Amino acid sequence: MSSMSRPNRSAGNRRGSAGAVAQPSPWLPVGMLIVVLLPLLLMPLAAVFIFAFRGGVGAFIAALLIPDAQFALRFSLLIAFATAFLNGLIGTFAAYVLSRYRFPGERPLNIVVNLPVAIPTVVVGTSLLLLWGPIGLLGRWLDPLGLQPMFTPFGVLLAHLFVTFPYMLSTIKPLLDELETTYEEAAYTIGASRWQTFWYVTLPALRGGIFTGALLTFAHSLGEFGATVLVSGNLRLRTQTAPLYIFAQFEAGNIAAANAVAAVLAALSFVIFFFLLRYTGNGR
Amino acid sequence: MGVSKRVEINALYGGLMSIVLDQLIRWYGNQAIVDQVSLEVADGELFVLLGASGSGKSTVLRLIAGLIQPDAGRIVVHGRDVTAVPPQQRNMGFVFQNYSIFRHMTVAQNIEFGLKIRKVLASERARRRDELLDLVGLVGLGNRYAHQLSGGQQQRVALARALAYEPKVLLLDEPFGALDVKIRAQLRRTLKEIQRRLQITAILVTHDQEEAFELADRIGVIERGKLLEVGAPETLYAYPRTAFTATFLGTATVLVGRVDDGHACFGSLQLPLPLDSTIDYEDGDRVQILVRPEQVVLSITEPKTHVPVIGRGTIVEQSFAGDRRRLRLRLPHLPGVRQIAPVAPFGEEGLLVDTVVPTDVPLAGEAIWVSLRAWHMLKPPPRRLLLYDPAANTSVTPVLTRWLAEKLDATVTVLGIAATNEGIDPVGTMLQRYLDAADLPAELHLRVGDAEQHIITEQTESLYDLLVLGCGESTSTVATGQAPDVRMIERIARGAITPILLVKGSRTQLTRILICTAAGEPGKNDVRTGGRLARRFGAMVTILHVSHPVRGVSLLANAHLERAAATLRALDVTNTIQIYPSSTPAEGILHVAGTGDYDLIVIGNHGPITPALFGGSDVTRQVITHAPCSVLIVPDDAL
Repeated sequence: MSSMSRPNRSAGNRRGSAGAVAQPSPWLPVGMLIVVLLPLLLMPLAAVFIFAFRGGVGAFIAALLIPDAQFALRFSLLIAFATAFLNGLIGTFAAYVLSRYRFPGERPLNIVVNLPVAIPTVVVGTSLLLLWGPIGLLGRWLDPLGLQPMFTPFGVLLAHLFVTFPYMLSTIKPLLDELETTYEEAAYTIGASRWQTFWYVTLPALRGGIFTGALLTFAHSLGEFGATVLVSGNLRLRTQTAPLYIFAQFEAGNIAAANAVAAVLAALSFVIFFFLLRYTGNGR
Repeated sequence: MGVSKRVEINALYGGLMSIVLDQLIRWYGNQAIVDQVSLEVADGELFVLLGASGSGKSTVLRLIAGLIQPDAGRIVVHGRDVTAVPPQQRNMGFVFQNYSIFRHMTVAQNIEFGLKIRKVLASERARRRDELLDLVGLVGLGNRYAHQLSGGQQQRVALARALAYEPKVLLLDEPFGALDVKIRAQLRRTLKEIQRRLQITAILVTHDQEEAFELADRIGVIERGKLLEVGAPETLYAYPRTAFTATFLGTATVLVGRVDDGHACFGSLQLPLPLDSTIDYEDGDRVQILVRPEQVVLSITEPKTHVPVIGRGTIVEQSFAGDRRRLRLRLPHLPGVRQIAPVAPFGEEGLLVDTVVPTDVPLAGEAIWVSLRAWHMLKPPPRRLLLYDPAANTSVTPVLTRWLAEKLDATVTVLGIAATNEGIDPVGTMLQRYLDAADLPAELHLRVGDAEQHIITEQTESLYDLLVLGCGESTSTVATGQAPDVRMIERIARGAITPILLVKGSRTQLTRILICTAAGEPGKNDVRTGGRLARRFGAMVTILHVSHPVRGVSLLANAHLERAAATLRALDVTNTIQIYPSSTPAEGILHVAGTGDYDLIVIGNHGPITPALFGGSDVTRQVITHAPCSVLIVPDDAL
């Protein structure tokens, strides 16, 4: 907000020296903005922490030490790491193919791979169930073999991979599109094979983008709810992620337990967000 | 063919030629961006490919490097066919305009990259890297990253990186294009020095003629994918063969005149034709003359009689260039002379001549005599036909055009006009099918808008020798332009400097020609133009004079007919004279043409004066409208 008011003031000085209308004080619009944002953003953010610590630090720690809470947090982190890693690989590969090769059907494919951001996550959960569930299209053939991806950690991973797929792609593909092909061509003429060129030239140029994309994927996976709630079956100590735990505890009336985990999730998100700002804001 | 040709090339150039390009073709859509380029570059030579942007010069370089594949042709490097070899194995150094220094690597890592890929030992890499840093003048900067270097320094790194693995050939794609003038000059010197020292064969691509002059052992001028001319800088500057090279390299005044009586004529100025036995100059042929600024002589007093004088002019533009002053003079228009360069501004009628004088020469305010110290006659351009056939459904016009192109040894350009931008593609497809059906090789020019304007523009811009207009009725759903009606033809003919052939009837060869001298004062051009065509066609000519039914043939007309017959005999054209009495010339012409089974009527374009002479019955218009066969309209003063 200070950065907003600064250019205004200098503009005011210029106008003032020209003897024109004086720049009005910035405090009125800024104040109005804060009043609007208070119930919308600021108070909810604060509320998470206020409620988490209302019973004191002891109660907060005790709430986190409940095995269910412990499991939910660890499971969420594990899934988020796995999702970020796998989508990091697949997303980079997809971005490379879509940016470097021209083929029929390229445009529709480009749209399809970005579609998951537009689909409601609950719909994603439903469609995964309809595909992999015990009576699903593929699931009905797997079920007799004893394979049952839904309502397992693997099912949760599938859902998260789907929902977060576009984040990696959309950070890397623009970088690749902008990275002129002459860099790769230079490597070819120097003698580097396609693979060497990718490893030594292209990939290093994408380092920042891959990190940013992975963080975004991680953050979204950590907070995923809609698809997870359907495909996981919300089984405690088995498939219950942190957001599901919060929801379950809230419903059961255990506000303190819910708030403690919520506060941890919020803190994690702040840390990730801080890294994202540093990386994307200051450039590489 | 491949094997025998390879043997031949190896035998000829095996040890001498570093790079041989053999008929390289690369298509982009339906356009050849590299069009049958053949070139030989000698060992240790610095060859410069010079062309405007979009000329295909960079594509040639990328083909040599293997970054793209040719659609046809071969690339031979040191006697080895590398056409199918991937870029990694061609062992060539490539320097890009945007430097393309790997940003996450230091200067040293960049230079060592090629050696690392080749698994050269670290100690050897370091030795080589230091050598190269020294060579390109970057000692001490090995640990920097690209963003810590200036553009010039980055390009030095790129050069060192490309030389690190001792490639056989160095390719440079506009390497200095993104640098400012001073750095560019420095780098040019560095490059030339390094290239000389290493004795490496290099091909550099640029659009900057100054750069080409300074660096090149030889220059190749490329335009629209075609390698037009190759030669040493000074040879290309002084003795270019084409007008394009003449104007692309340095300042040039290029004028088009006609051959008359064994001389090249530019208005009243007569210059001897070059003694070149390979060129067969005919009276009426176009000739192009090139005058360089330093070949122009300016004087206040009238030059002596034997000095070729262009005329008296005034200075219209001058620019100060330090040690010299560039001048542009405007002279009165020379009849029958067209200017190619410098390009005259719209509405400018006079003749423009560019010259240069030392700065300390005082400039006169009054009219200055402009004469020539030296000049160069360009190679006559190939004849060109412009075909416009909006109906595009009858086979007569394209088949006849093909016959004409063969007889006249000419290339054909087909003009297609679409009403809107969306119409361009269907018109193009349609015309291509039309040309394929008649097996007529031609260049397509597709335009949007008004047909008449485009035809006039095309023929003034590109200098065609003959305009062929198809007059058939269109039955097709896709029109490739407005059909030419009489008024449109008249308007085109009014500004035309080339003869116009209106294709009518069903004849696809023109072997019986009727040359009409009906207007009483027949231009000798009708006879000459008709006669020259008849000679090329191997056709028989009848000279027709429509006489007054009562007064008969005048003495003047008789004398003229005799001269016309003599002119045709001189051209070795079989001819007869026919005198036909008729009350109106048009009627007479049409009657004779109809009964005599002629393929072509040749008639002068007498323009707007005719209605006055013949009381409104315009001969040309009548003949155009009612002729049973094709009609050739010869412009009033064919140049």
